[in-house]
Amino acid sequence: MGLEEMLLEIKDTSELMVDLAYSSLLYNNRDIAEEVYQLDGRMRELENEIQEMAIEKATEDKDIKKALLVIRLAQSVGEISKAALKIADVVRRDVPPHPVIQLALRETDVIITSVVVGEGSDLDGATLGKVRLATNTGMYAIAVRRGRRYIYGPNKTTTIMGGDTLYVRGPEDGEQYFRDLASGKEHLGPDDLKGP
Amino acid sequence: MVYYGEEDEEEKENLTVRELLTEIKDISEVIVDLAYAALLFDSQEIGAEVHHLCSRMDTLNHEIKIRMMIASRTAQDAIQLSGLLQVAEGAAAISAAAGDIVELLELNPKGNPIVSLVLKEAEEKIRLLTLSDRSDMRGKSLEDLSVETETGMRVIAIKRGIRWIYDPEETERLKECDLLVVRGTEDGYERLRCFTSGVNKWPVYPEEE
Repeated sequence: MGLEEMLLEIKDTSELMVDLAYSSLLYNNRDIAEEVYQLDGRMRELENEIQEMAIEKATEDKDIKKALLVIRLAQSVGEISKAALKIADVVRRDVPPHPVIQLALRETDVIITSVVVGEGSDLDGATLGKVRLATNTGMYAIAVRRGRRYIYGPNKTTTIMGGDTLYVRGPEDGEQYFRDLASGKEHLGPDDLKGP
Repeated sequence: MVYYGEEDEEEKENLTVRELLTEIKDISEVIVDLAYAALLFDSQEIGAEVHHLCSRMDTLNHEIKIRMMIASRTAQDAIQLSGLLQVAEGAAAISAAAGDIVELLELNPKGNPIVSLVLKEAEEKIRLLTLSDRSDMRGKSLEDLSVETETGMRVIAIKRGIRWIYDPEETERLKECDLLVVRGTEDGYERLRCFTSGVNKWPVYPEEE
């Protein structure tokens, strides 16, 4: 794995971890909180590899600033993931999170919500890329629960099935349309499925 | 570094714990995008806004800590409230990390292709769009348009002439030549670009009765 790829992965992972951490709080869901811990292990691994590789490169091309930039960026991204861990940790207590936390999370600019995908809806049997979920609804998928299994950080190629619970993040005014689309009350137009 | 958070000092008194936490979470979201934008566009101005948000975050955190201590009556209270504080601390740690990212401007990120490459290739990217005089988005507010719901792209900042508007309010009206800093997927960016350039008309839906 190259330096770019690793940096890309830690950046995307850190963002997923923050989304999952807030989701775990909102739903008082320990499974999701646990995933934040799992992802953190991967983050630490990558952070170490990035440091080593950046130093290795610096000994070759003598560009110390470049290596320093990469190492410090990776470190800051790592700090974001540690912060996500701290947030998710609240769910792992014996006492449920304070209800004000959930109230506050529902009022934010970026809300998190979940919906059960209806059978026969446009999402049933389609990949996230095909329905262009984020582009068409403003809602960005962060996790899918299928039975007892979770898919964290689903991508364009992830197929959604009827009965799945979809966890998403996005603007509040997009929530209703997203719900209607997922339940099968609303349908996408032919233009929505085509790319630009 | 310019801090200009003093004008906020008085209004904070009236915020409820829920409002404090909401603002803390909102800052933790937008500050990271702004920090990456500062790096990507090598912008000290956006960097200064990140520092401003960092100090606002410190103020809010301090306030929420005091409230929690006053509110705690029993051991059960203390456990739940300490959890709430931990969330606020986590959000503050995110904003501190964003502050550190902005410090990297000193290391000449422009001369380092790897950073811009990573920020351009990421799952959710930060991009720039200019509002054309042919676009029908002109004169409309972000709320009228529901930009994020319609395209999946979130407007994190607007540059209007020499002025910056960070994390714009929903009521903010777009103007011709506005430079929009947006965050989202490649697909959403392409869709929004068709609207900002005036190639496509902004969709209008029939009013529901």
